[in-house]
Amino acid sequence: MGDKDDRSPKKKKGATKDMDDLKKEVPITEHKMSVEEVCRKFQTDIVQGLTNAKAAEFLIRDGPNALTPPPTTPEWVKFCRQLFGGFSILLWTGAILCFLAYAIQAATEDDPAGDNLYLGIVLTAVVIITGCFSYFQEAKSSKIMESFKNMVPQQALVIREGEKVQINAEEVVAGDLIEVKGGDRIPADIRVVSAHGCKVDNSSLTGESEPQNRSPDCTHDNPLETRNIAFFSTNCVEGTARGLVICTGDRTVMGRIATLTSGLETGKTPIAKEIEHFIHIITGVAVFLGVTFFILAIILGYSWLEAVIFLIGIIVANVPEGLLATVTVCLTLTAKRMAKKNCLVKNLEAVETLGSTSTICSDKTGTLTQNRMTVAHMWFDNQIHEADTTEDQSGASFDKSSVTWLSLARVAGLCNRAQFKGGQDSLPILKRDVAGDASESALLKCIELSCGSVRVMRDKNKKVAEIPFNSTNKYQLSVHETEDPNDNRYLLVMKGAPERILDRCTTILLQGKEQPMDEELKEAFQNAYMELGGLGERVLGFCHVLLPEDQYPKGFAFDTDDVNFQTDNLCFVGLMSMIDPPRAAVPDAVGKCRSAGIKVIMVTGDHPITAKAIAKGVGIISEGNETVEDIAARLNIPVSQVNPRDAKACVIHGTDLKDLSQDQMDDILRNHTEIVFARTSPQQKLIIVEGCQRLGAIVAVTGDGVNDSPALKKADIGVAMGISGSDVSKQAADMILLDDNFASIVTGVEEGRLIFDNLKKSIAYTLTSNIPEITPFLLFIIVNIPLPLGTITILCIDLGTDMVPAISLAYEMAESDIMKRQPRNPTRDKLVNERLISIAYGQIGMIQALGGFFSYFVILAENGFLPSILVGIRLNWDNRSVNDLEDSYGQQWTYEQRKIVEFTCHTAFFVSIVVVQWADVIICKTRRNSVFQQGMKNKILIFGLFEETALAAFLSYCPGMDVALRMYPLKPTWWFCAFPYSFLIFVYDEVRKLLLRRNPGGWVEKETYY
Amino acid sequence: MDLVVLVAFSSWLAPALASAGDKDKDNDSAFNYDYESLRIGGLVFAVVLFLMGIALIVTRKCTCSKSDKSRSREPNVESGVPRA
Repeated sequence: MGDKDDRSPKKKKGATKDMDDLKKEVPITEHKMSVEEVCRKFQTDIVQGLTNAKAAEFLIRDGPNALTPPPTTPEWVKFCRQLFGGFSILLWTGAILCFLAYAIQAATEDDPAGDNLYLGIVLTAVVIITGCFSYFQEAKSSKIMESFKNMVPQQALVIREGEKVQINAEEVVAGDLIEVKGGDRIPADIRVVSAHGCKVDNSSLTGESEPQNRSPDCTHDNPLETRNIAFFSTNCVEGTARGLVICTGDRTVMGRIATLTSGLETGKTPIAKEIEHFIHIITGVAVFLGVTFFILAIILGYSWLEAVIFLIGIIVANVPEGLLATVTVCLTLTAKRMAKKNCLVKNLEAVETLGSTSTICSDKTGTLTQNRMTVAHMWFDNQIHEADTTEDQSGASFDKSSVTWLSLARVAGLCNRAQFKGGQDSLPILKRDVAGDASESALLKCIELSCGSVRVMRDKNKKVAEIPFNSTNKYQLSVHETEDPNDNRYLLVMKGAPERILDRCTTILLQGKEQPMDEELKEAFQNAYMELGGLGERVLGFCHVLLPEDQYPKGFAFDTDDVNFQTDNLCFVGLMSMIDPPRAAVPDAVGKCRSAGIKVIMVTGDHPITAKAIAKGVGIISEGNETVEDIAARLNIPVSQVNPRDAKACVIHGTDLKDLSQDQMDDILRNHTEIVFARTSPQQKLIIVEGCQRLGAIVAVTGDGVNDSPALKKADIGVAMGISGSDVSKQAADMILLDDNFASIVTGVEEGRLIFDNLKKSIAYTLTSNIPEITPFLLFIIVNIPLPLGTITILCIDLGTDMVPAISLAYEMAESDIMKRQPRNPTRDKLVNERLISIAYGQIGMIQALGGFFSYFVILAENGFLPSILVGIRLNWDNRSVNDLEDSYGQQWTYEQRKIVEFTCHTAFFVSIVVVQWADVIICKTRRNSVFQQGMKNKILIFGLFEETALAAFLSYCPGMDVALRMYPLKPTWWFCAFPYSFLIFVYDEVRKLLLRRNPGGWVEKETYY
Repeated sequence: MDLVVLVAFSSWLAPALASAGDKDKDNDSAFNYDYESLRIGGLVFAVVLFLMGIALIVTRKCTCSKSDKSRSREPNVESGVPRA
């Protein structure tokens, strides 16, 4: 960092090398240098700061101190992606083929039929309209994204030429001397040169939930761990610090992560892959049919050009015109349903991804936990008490009647500098903002909740003197007047590291009575301390003493620098321990994920002990499962002797992860079901996600911090937190939980699985009608009958009557408990497989075609053309100059009369398809269950049935349709021609499903379960 | 529901039956079909079906409103306070 070649604009050739470079750990070295060396390096002065001239020079050299926004795709590119992506390609190909066929016809015939032209135009229109629709859908969610952006420009206090100036954070340059104080956001990566009680909140960068101290000394080789570096865009919680800027803009640690994130390539979504697979199958079928009939046509003696027209016609007829719209609408409906449940999906295709997810890598801080310290346990009266850590205070409470508890509460309330910010009296206590340190705030809230107003308590016990916490003392004390105005004694209260507090105590408060501290009690204390510490909690000890009046009379001048009063021989009151507790809904959600066959891995920047405690708390490490270390401790043998296969759970430290080879990594991910990664850097999170993906898992990553964003981007689906999440993480994610509730992920999984099943049904339904649409054309070519079904009527089915029923299947309920089965195997369980095609095309579709042809022959026979005469009649039938064509009874028909009968047949064929599609939509409701088990609760589907029938009747009977679409009114009896076939379809499929249920794993299931 | 279906069917069959009634004057009656009343009947049928479908959707919202209460709640966007 900091060298000049690093600043040269990224060249394309070096782009991949840069990415690898970014994946490595942070190369900051300034923390190991002395302040003078740093000053020399940046040509700055420790007192005066940079000169204005130098600052201006550096600003030009390094550019502004801001993150380069990720390259945004221009709107038109996004639009084109919608227009030409995935499924649309199929329709575009169809449209182009149509225009080609029309061009051939126009060039060779005098009076070409307009069918191909219309079809081409309609196909184009469908793609464009659907493209616009999904474009606007996504634009809507990206608009919500925009609203997340924090527009407030940051200010920074810099010292230049010895003067303090407030400048825009963007103008800060490397070498600037900067001052930060509590509440500020740190404007760049700085090397701390002096600090007063400075604490920074690094949670968005490292995942540590506790604020970290900052001081000028180098405490660790790792720049992320050392105390003398503060990072760009983390927050200073309290205290003040002065530091030298060492990196700005994209070269900061934060900037590197952001650059890494935006540079990552993401693969296709699972549903996009499925649709691609589907297109392959459809194209295969279409080309196979087309070529077969092309050869047949040639053999039958058609001309080359005619055969080519047929070829194109058959290929295009295989394109399911309505399916693109159906799929888009189904996904949109699910996206809307999820938005209602507070899951905002940025990319429509990501709707399904959670359903296919087999591994969830979750961040801890802020995702699984509440990201606020809370008092979890207390030890007093020689007993551990559990405090209520739930967000809504619904948990169990402890016995508050003990006198010791009142004393403990008093110490914790008085020896505490945190206070509520003003004007929040109407808010619930837990929601109020607190000025002060995280653990003091936790104590404050805990006391306020259980003992009433702390302010009143502090007013009653006026503070006389105070020694704030510092790292050498490891305690904090204050001296107060007592509540009783007649009592002139002073109360000394102290809190701090438990072992230091214990050292100062000679007595202990038990049931309100002071008792001498004996060895037994000391051991009890040790045990309690160990136990709470083992839970990953931060433990504080509390003690007090009433100072004797004779030594410290009223008005005694307490000197806190010189400590002229008693600070030992105190009375120990108790311990309180704090943790960032898990969110209430998380354990349940983790349990549900697990029963849904999803592996939940915790990946956190926090310490292993805390991570493990939380993992156990939320069920990521389930009860009774041990890590290698646990087994070693239980059996009292060295860790190396434990067979790692015996341990289902494991906790892996980031530093160990660094040394692991890819094979070892795969081994861990494969053999342990419950994994916790602690102390991981953002780069390592990325490696973990890549490792899971390498093993074939579809990975979801949840996180809120900047440190999660590379992993969020790399994951198949990144889930960011809407309230607590950082901008960078939200940009990188595909889905945003608007209420920060991890449980919403379960909803996402459920909806994703449901839509996958329902899309199968929709597709099966839509594809079925392809067969009755193609076969007329095939028979028209092969046996020369008058065309039974025209292009316009086909379009009326695909884009008219079939649409609502197909979409209504998206509202279908799950057939069984979808949260109890394993995630689908992306290599085996396809959206569309041969079995689905065989059912739709080979079985149901064929029956439908029979139904259609039956109506066709009935109508022609009623008009005098018996089926026997029809074969081979086509050339005369379609010949304009033949106006005396005789039917089976010797009646003569003019061209125009014949055509009216033909188009009436088209209409009847169309109506027949509608009738058989009734049965089809009902059988497509379920894949395994009987309709009688599933019920007809889907009102949209019933609406669809009504609507398609109404539309069919309308198209047939509306005056003017004979001119507009060449559809003619049908006699009522003709409607019933296809009824038996409709019934047959229903019975056929019910029997199939019955066999399927009766013989699980049997032949029927293997061959027909899609 | 059964009643509604019955009404729909009768509305559709009525003109067909009516048209069957007044074929008295022509020997060629088998070749003359009253397409006018067929059209009207068909259209009435279509409209009735369509309205029934709409009615179905409208009632859906009322009867099921208790089962999804979350319907009215919009995603709470403004509470998003970015942290980093």
